[in-house]
Amino acid sequence: MSKVLLKLENLTMKFGGVTALNEVNLEIHEGEILALIGPNGAGKTTVFNVITGVYQATSGSVTFDGHNLAGRKRFQITGLGVARTFQNIRLFGDMTTLENVITATDVHKKSGLVGALFGTPRARREEKENRAKAHEILQFIGIDEYADRLAKNLPYGVQRRLEIARAMGTSPKLLLLDEPAAGFNPQEKVELAATIKKVRDAGYTVLLIEHDMSLIMGISDRVAVLDFGTKIADDSPAVVQNDPRVIEAYLGVPADAS
Amino acid sequence: MKNFNLRDFGAGIWERSNRYQRIAIVLLVITLAALLPFAGASFLATPVAAYDAVLVYPVAIFVLMSLGLNIVVGKSGMLDLGYVAFFAIGAYTNGLLSMHTGLNTWEIMPIGIGAAMFAGVLLGIPTLRLRGDYLAIVTLGFGEIIRIVALNVSWTNGPNGISGIQMPPPILGKEFALDDQKLFFWVVLVMILLTIWMIRRLTVRRPGRAWEAIRQDEDAAELMGVPTLKYKIWSFTLGAAIGGAAGVLYAAKNLFISPEMFTLNVSILILACVVFGGIGNIWGVILGGAILGYLPDRIRFISDARLLVFGLVLVVVMNFRPDGLLPRKKREKALIKKGANA
Repeated sequence: MSKVLLKLENLTMKFGGVTALNEVNLEIHEGEILALIGPNGAGKTTVFNVITGVYQATSGSVTFDGHNLAGRKRFQITGLGVARTFQNIRLFGDMTTLENVITATDVHKKSGLVGALFGTPRARREEKENRAKAHEILQFIGIDEYADRLAKNLPYGVQRRLEIARAMGTSPKLLLLDEPAAGFNPQEKVELAATIKKVRDAGYTVLLIEHDMSLIMGISDRVAVLDFGTKIADDSPAVVQNDPRVIEAYLGVPADAS
Repeated sequence: MKNFNLRDFGAGIWERSNRYQRIAIVLLVITLAALLPFAGASFLATPVAAYDAVLVYPVAIFVLMSLGLNIVVGKSGMLDLGYVAFFAIGAYTNGLLSMHTGLNTWEIMPIGIGAAMFAGVLLGIPTLRLRGDYLAIVTLGFGEIIRIVALNVSWTNGPNGISGIQMPPPILGKEFALDDQKLFFWVVLVMILLTIWMIRRLTVRRPGRAWEAIRQDEDAAELMGVPTLKYKIWSFTLGAAIGGAAGVLYAAKNLFISPEMFTLNVSILILACVVFGGIGNIWGVILGGAILGYLPDRIRFISDARLLVFGLVLVVVMNFRPDGLLPRKKREKALIKKGANA
């Protein structure tokens, strides 16, 4: 098996008396698509929030690429190579599609305010690189034709794709996708599945939260299931699909057993 | 007139022009602005105060301060109600150094800007973790603290203020004079042009994007790798620097400063200039600062009623143009060419 990129060890997250995550262990290997599923309120987005530094874990650790992420600032974690999308779209609406991605590509650039003010050669070069890279990503995702449109005016499906493109702008090793297919029709879901596979084949590792079983079963290498903050299964899609505990969590106790 | 939009009209002319036409436009606008002090005999004349003095303060100084505050409020979306603090720091730096040392206005200028920036960083580091209303309250407090300190400590002469500030030394052999403020206006105009240049440079590059992202969604910005605190402090500090520069110039023009000149009213009035003109749009902000600086003096002939009229104008205009006279530029077409002059 290839190297472990992200490792959650005994991760617990408590909000007052509510335990959102309880001793969760999870490993994600380089180059795989791992799907994180579970009923509403199972703690999937909380996992994302702990990884990206939005929340500090109550106990347990998150190790990414050899770095312990505890106590790091959010933008530093992004700089290390973790990028995410949002379940409820949070693009910069008053910026164009291209500017949204360029803002993300800035994370690895050295020039700051002084360089920008005096137009130093490095600042000029980095601006050019940013622009080229952003166009490249938009082409890769297939939305380059919208490059100069304001993000808030884009069609819904394009906004969802732009979320992915913007996250890719930070040149991440690990891409966290939070329900990228929410609100999509079956045709759009098929296209999205192809895009996610393409992203993985381009060398990214993908951790995916999704509800749509057919999408998950089609593209993921492994599926982890959360229920009330506890991991109840972690295996290949085919095995997870037939796991009685997973079926119970999703559908309740089967009729013939009750 | 139905679909006429001054902002788009202006931007349209700019986009259709080539490089040489643009240089011509810029030179023309600068020349017209520089000729403003000679228009004193026209309908622009102010009835009571001297016209060229009004052009320096309030008009030009207000424009300068509005541009500075716009970086903080308009570009990066932080509500600062204590902007007068930096104005006061600049003015008092000039007053104190002028009183105790032999430095002239131009030598004091960088020190005044530095002092205001230092105060900006000092206030920014602990407080810029706050957002929205909370930040507004803290900055409001800071503005009052500076004024109350100036009012109560002995080394600022307390309520008596500092008088006898040195007149700036001559520039190119031309003397500054109290009864002819043209030269002073041109000095402030140069400061304004420098500020515009700086803001435009920053806006099209990384800092502008970072500020814009912070303004729209600070959490998302940080998760996309924008070091938000750093850019917020930069924004605050640059705003402070411009406020400080305005303060140094104000003290040099007025030759006397006292704490009652630096009340909360000034902060609010400058904020009004920014909002009235068009928050986030530098041309709107310039227009706002110029109009709100000029209007009270132009209608001084109605004496006591003038503040009422002034208030009415504000209310009426803001009702019809809630985004300001020239709203924030965000048209898709203009942005396509933005890369060309970046």
